[in-house]
Amino acid sequence: MVTLNINGSDHTIDVETDTPLLWVLRDELALTGTKYGCGLGLCGACTVLLDGRPTRSCVVPVSAVSGQAIVTIEGLSKDKSHPVQRAWIEESVPQCGYCQSGMILATVALLKNKPNPTDHDIDTNVTNICRCGTYNRVRKAIHRAARMQENGETPVGGSSTA
Amino acid sequence: MSDITRRAFVGGAVALTGLTLSLELPAQETARQAAPGVPRPPRTPSAFLQIGEDDRITIITPAVEMGQGGHTSLPMIIMEELGGNWDRLRVVDAPAAAIYNNPLFGLQATVGSFSVRGWYLELRRIGAAARVMLLQAAAQTWKVSPEHCVADGSEVIHDSSGRRCSFGSVARLAASLPIPQNPLLKTVAQYTMIGSSPPRVDVPDKVDGSARYGIDVTLPDMLYAAVKTCPTFGGKLKSLDDSACRSMPAYRATVRLADGVVVVAQSYWQARKALERVKVEYELGPLAGLDSEKVSQQLHAGFAEPGFVARHDGKVEAALAGAAKVLESVYEVPYLAHACMEPMNCTARVTDAGCEIWCGTQNPQAAQAAAATALGIAPARVQVHVQYLGGGFGRRGEADYVTQAVLAAKATQGKPVKLIWSREEDIQHDFYRPAAAIRFRGGLDAAGKLVALEAKIISASAPAIGRPGAPPFFVEAVEDANYRIPNFYVTGLNKDLGVRFGFWRSVNHSHNPFMLEGFIDELARAAGKDPYLFRREMLQHGSEGARRQLAVLDLMAQKANWQHPPAGHAFGISAFEAFGSFIGTIVEVSVKDRFVTIHRVVQAIDCGVAIHPDNISAQLEGGMAFGLTAAVRGEITLRNGAVMQANFNDYPALALSEMPLVESYIVPSTAAPGGVGEPGTGPIAPSLGNAIYAATGQRLRSLPLSRHRLSLKVART
Repeated sequence: MVTLNINGSDHTIDVETDTPLLWVLRDELALTGTKYGCGLGLCGACTVLLDGRPTRSCVVPVSAVSGQAIVTIEGLSKDKSHPVQRAWIEESVPQCGYCQSGMILATVALLKNKPNPTDHDIDTNVTNICRCGTYNRVRKAIHRAARMQENGETPVGGSSTA
Repeated sequence: MSDITRRAFVGGAVALTGLTLSLELPAQETARQAAPGVPRPPRTPSAFLQIGEDDRITIITPAVEMGQGGHTSLPMIIMEELGGNWDRLRVVDAPAAAIYNNPLFGLQATVGSFSVRGWYLELRRIGAAARVMLLQAAAQTWKVSPEHCVADGSEVIHDSSGRRCSFGSVARLAASLPIPQNPLLKTVAQYTMIGSSPPRVDVPDKVDGSARYGIDVTLPDMLYAAVKTCPTFGGKLKSLDDSACRSMPAYRATVRLADGVVVVAQSYWQARKALERVKVEYELGPLAGLDSEKVSQQLHAGFAEPGFVARHDGKVEAALAGAAKVLESVYEVPYLAHACMEPMNCTARVTDAGCEIWCGTQNPQAAQAAAATALGIAPARVQVHVQYLGGGFGRRGEADYVTQAVLAAKATQGKPVKLIWSREEDIQHDFYRPAAAIRFRGGLDAAGKLVALEAKIISASAPAIGRPGAPPFFVEAVEDANYRIPNFYVTGLNKDLGVRFGFWRSVNHSHNPFMLEGFIDELARAAGKDPYLFRREMLQHGSEGARRQLAVLDLMAQKANWQHPPAGHAFGISAFEAFGSFIGTIVEVSVKDRFVTIHRVVQAIDCGVAIHPDNISAQLEGGMAFGLTAAVRGEITLRNGAVMQANFNDYPALALSEMPLVESYIVPSTAAPGGVGEPGTGPIAPSLGNAIYAATGQRLRSLPLSRHRLSLKVART
């Protein structure tokens, strides 16, 4: 049994402790916005926030995250209203979209530490892989989200843990 | 309506409310028709478009959504003629049914950049027919002439009185009216929706995790399956011992495949762990000794073997003998994997009544057929639920993963099974872009004019889609070059080495242009001519293809300021016809200490009528990134008959930090639409190779750059 704090609520789950957080989120809690891409922490499709840090949930055993605040893409807002989500929509970033949950959460973490990131900051912090090649729009959306946050636009209905 | 279509609709996926058009429009040929003899079922409008009394417009799209925008661009074509309000639109994937076969090639497959090309005329006719019926219904209600009514924003408006009514309010009456057989279509100049860039319908659900991909399907009592197959191509399962996993509480079943094993468990992680405990022995098969060196040797050996003639203009041998200068070069490219971000997966439920499958697929009828074959039942008993695709790129046109899931579900007494491949399985059991080699000989006259070109192409060729009996088409992007070359001889040798191969984004245009446009560049340099002007000269002969390719060449040369590269930088150029469009790229680089720095990428396309310009730009950028990954480091290598790469560490994709600045330009055109999903992939490799030559004098005749100890850097302004 492990107890996890996910998107602001506690969940007690009966699962083997070596199970990666990714599969607990997807298969036990039906939070399927977090994606499996590589299983080795290489691609970033499974990125979630652990106490605000971007973390690749496919290589984190569930036993290691008890007591930490976990935010998944579903917890970012109730209505796609987080500035990063809105910037993503306005720049029409996704193509196939499979990597985008991870991209968005990596961006949320980046903007928390660097509210006005340079291109170099983006290059070094957003290491998620996108096979559709949406990278230039990802970059534009990050800058747009930074401007939105700078202008005081706070997420409407967003999770306080994000 | 066929039985399967009717059943799927009545079954609940699409509610039949209001306007349901059940008569048939006569089949009409599209402008660029292919394939004589391809069966062309009459199109039933209600299979594509339904308008509810609640004003909801439901469009059932025959193109799946894998990132290329089919869920937006095809509805735009209907909505243009219908006059519908974009905000009322709901888009639904079509079930597997022949009525959704692409008019251009006769299959229900989202491949070959065919979706807009194939459906452009038919969907306009469906939208226009519905508009006429709605106008007539409103006119009847108002007792006015329909000629004085127009449709706009999901309303019918009477021009003199200004009366308005919603589509929904007259939908039921409209549905009872006869379907006009030849509704008047708009001209390109009248378009208001086509050529605008409405928000893509799939985007909002892709920013909050609610978009449902195949891998996200969740059903009551669902079990999970992991799979492992023989590492060598053509290998078979010899024996398995699953005694070590049978004691695991979550274990449910072991399923033998001809070439591997599936383990079913109560969770996916448990299935993976159980699979690791299964001891498997394989018969490695006849390819167990194959490695990349032998592949290369066999391709090169093909140059001495007879092939088939794909193009024969003039007398090449005589022209080469009389040429002032003759060049000979051999080019080669490796196997490539697709590496879709979403690993292959399928969920299946098998009961006495039949089978249901849920997956991302580019070819629902192929998925249906694979399931039917695996179970020995009629395809009509297999229902396919198409989901979003986490990348397709040609890989999801295959149905191997469907077969595996269905066989697993057959062993679970009616409980659904979700089978998910590991990334390692995905990289090592792909249908690879085939390795290929071309030997060129080219002859220049004393004035530096290309008078003779001979190309011998060695590769494995997938069958030409929708053209049964047609010659192998891996010679395309060479034999159909728009350049005027008086003596032009192209042969091909279809060399299947036993390595699984298939369609990879832009198919033969992913690599043949690297080789042809590289050799054209060599010839230009040997002639002492500017590579852009050398190409220009060969496109002055006035054919439609040459004229449009020339316009693309000129546009990007102008945008890049071709004659004046920044100090210390060099340009590379290439352009060609692909998927009914004309595409070109100029790359600006500098090279220092084995690092190739890309400063700028300029792309131009003539894709005929541009349906959704913003998405066209996205596709050109994305296609370029796909091609750049391959050009820089994409390589699947073999040892002992098995693929050596397994994950993104040894088959790395382009990173965000490596994505260059890209400018994309669209040539204004009123021609019938061409494809946009694939053309952008091909030009980056030749343009990059040509730019590296311009910067260093080193000619790259094989890919990837990493073979030549070159690495990529990207300049940020």
